[in-house]
Amino acid sequence: MPPIIEISGLRKTYRRSFRQPHNALDGLDLEVAAGQVHGFLGPNGSGKTTTLRALLGLIRVDGGTMRIFGQEVPHRLPEVVGRIGAVVESPQFFKHFSGRLTLQLLAESAGVPKERVEAVLEQTGLRDAAKSAVKGYSLGMRQRLAVAQALLKQPELLILDEPANGLDPAGIHHMRELLQWLAHEQGVTVVVSSHLLSEVQQLCDSMTIVSRGRRIVDGSVAEIIAGHSGASLSVRFPDAASLPEAADALVNAKPEVGAVVERDRLVVTGAPEAAWVTRTLADAGIYLSELVTQTKNLESVFLELTGTAPQPGQTVQVGQSVAVPQTAAPIEVPVAVTPDAGPQAGTEAEEAQR
Amino acid sequence: MNLFKAELRRIARRRLTLVFGILLLAGVVGLAVILASISTEGPDEAALAEAQAQADEMNEQNPDYLDCVEDESYFEDNEMYGWVETDPEYEGMSHKEACEHAVGGWWAEDFLWTYTFDFADEGPFLIVGVMIVAGLVMMLLGSSAIGAEWSSGGMSNLMVWHPNRMRLWGAKLGAALTACAAGVVVLAALAFGLLVLVASLRGEVGVLNGVWWEDTLELVLRTGVLALGMTLLGASLAMLGRHTAIAGGVIAGYLIIGELIVNMVSMNLSMDFPERLSLYTWVGAWITGRIELVGGYTGFNDMTPDVMVITWSDAGALLGGIVLLFAALATWSFQRRDAA
Repeated sequence: MPPIIEISGLRKTYRRSFRQPHNALDGLDLEVAAGQVHGFLGPNGSGKTTTLRALLGLIRVDGGTMRIFGQEVPHRLPEVVGRIGAVVESPQFFKHFSGRLTLQLLAESAGVPKERVEAVLEQTGLRDAAKSAVKGYSLGMRQRLAVAQALLKQPELLILDEPANGLDPAGIHHMRELLQWLAHEQGVTVVVSSHLLSEVQQLCDSMTIVSRGRRIVDGSVAEIIAGHSGASLSVRFPDAASLPEAADALVNAKPEVGAVVERDRLVVTGAPEAAWVTRTLADAGIYLSELVTQTKNLESVFLELTGTAPQPGQTVQVGQSVAVPQTAAPIEVPVAVTPDAGPQAGTEAEEAQR
Repeated sequence: MNLFKAELRRIARRRLTLVFGILLLAGVVGLAVILASISTEGPDEAALAEAQAQADEMNEQNPDYLDCVEDESYFEDNEMYGWVETDPEYEGMSHKEACEHAVGGWWAEDFLWTYTFDFADEGPFLIVGVMIVAGLVMMLLGSSAIGAEWSSGGMSNLMVWHPNRMRLWGAKLGAALTACAAGVVVLAALAFGLLVLVASLRGEVGVLNGVWWEDTLELVLRTGVLALGMTLLGASLAMLGRHTAIAGGVIAGYLIIGELIVNMVSMNLSMDFPERLSLYTWVGAWITGRIELVGGYTGFNDMTPDVMVITWSDAGALLGGIVLLFAALATWSFQRRDAA
């Protein structure tokens, strides 16, 4: 099945009088497959919102091509817009209109049946607040209203910029379930731009990370995390005195293996597989009490890839993320190392990937 | 059509529309009430008698007047009033009346204040006044309908729903102009009905013949077009500035500072007909149909001043050109500029 969204070489430069031009998009590529929840991540100022705005025809681009449902946009956007629901940068509404009237006017303007208004109010949990004026809504309620208007058209493609912004924990949970239901049960393709990385990790099937207007990496969330987690193992023993002996045993068995004692554990790198460690130690008469495959979460992978990890005594400035060379292909996602060192290691890795 | 209807409904449901609507209705009703309270068909016998008594009382206290009334040869004997004998205005007056006029006696009319509202004479100009105020309010409403959408972020959201910007702009403009036309027509009809009612109850309706209807309809029609033009201008300025305050600021700025500059320029430049620099002159010509500007004398011996005639078609061409220019700029801007 062809991608729902295809973006190639997208460029956008903001030019202002008496200021340096700013390349918001510098040859960005993006592909989103059908029926997935796709995360679109990047540091502040990396071009996420600019990309979404360009896709939706709100801004003109200086180069590159964009396609949605195979149709070139923005030229043919009017033909496909009926299949797209979108929220860009927390849209504001007339403060004195009720939530219901806001949705009714949008529905009427696009010929959407009136029944859809009540349906989306129910779906987003705004049924009881529908009569109230928007000025009395909290940030989270306004966000729900924004998502409700995006759902009005029963879209095949849902584009959401920071959908969890302002939502309470129950709201975030509800939103996650709703989006996953839409994607996996209803076949809706969902693109989510967010800075809540733990949320993206739980919600998204695939993702694209961008920096300074270019793609750094894309692929399945699990594979990207696994691909950047390395193969380090944390090994503990019933008796801490065994640590030096165990390190020697491993290094002697395979010189390329690294074994470093850290407090009450041994950190092993370069081991072919977890089972090799347990076997080698057992052969040396040393029995371990715990073996854990050390995996990273999305936050640490993101910070590493974008070069925005905070350094002691320094503040990372906006726009100081990693620059991707002009000719660089997106980072290949290595095949994940599958830990087979027992149920504990596997559970930990899966937990991290979830 | 759905978009147009939704935009019309959006304007109708705005709180500003409600507030302006109430204020305009209250204004028209208030005008009728004031006219009804000050207009009378004429003093009754008792009021006339009371006024005459007051005038007589005052005259009794004026010795010159008393001398004049008592002395039939007062004007002949008194050099100061010798001219009365020859002034044609005093021809046919009784001696007492001549004394009242020349020496300054009091009349019953001095103690009566009566105003009779004549609809045929004054009605059309009052209706035009109501329409101009309604047009100004509609201009604010039209600019707010565009400006508030931009400043609230609602415009971007609407553009996500309707990416064809010309269609969106057309629907918004159409809705603003329709609301303006409906508002102006309703207020003009209400003003017409109330003023006729006031005239028939407390004044004079006058003669509403074919000529009156023709003149009045022309006046009202041109004022209605002016109101639509103002709405279009307000909406276009709001689209260009992307804020209601920009439109309001430009218009208020012109009305205050612009006119001041025009007056200063006209005083310091030795140009003929400096009034033509002011838009008010052209607006006046558009509404009344014709305006004459009187200039200086052409020569030393020629006592006939230059006259510049501005007709409604001249004024329409200039004012229409200005409005269409801003509308075209707004259209170009909306089509080309990024949504912030």
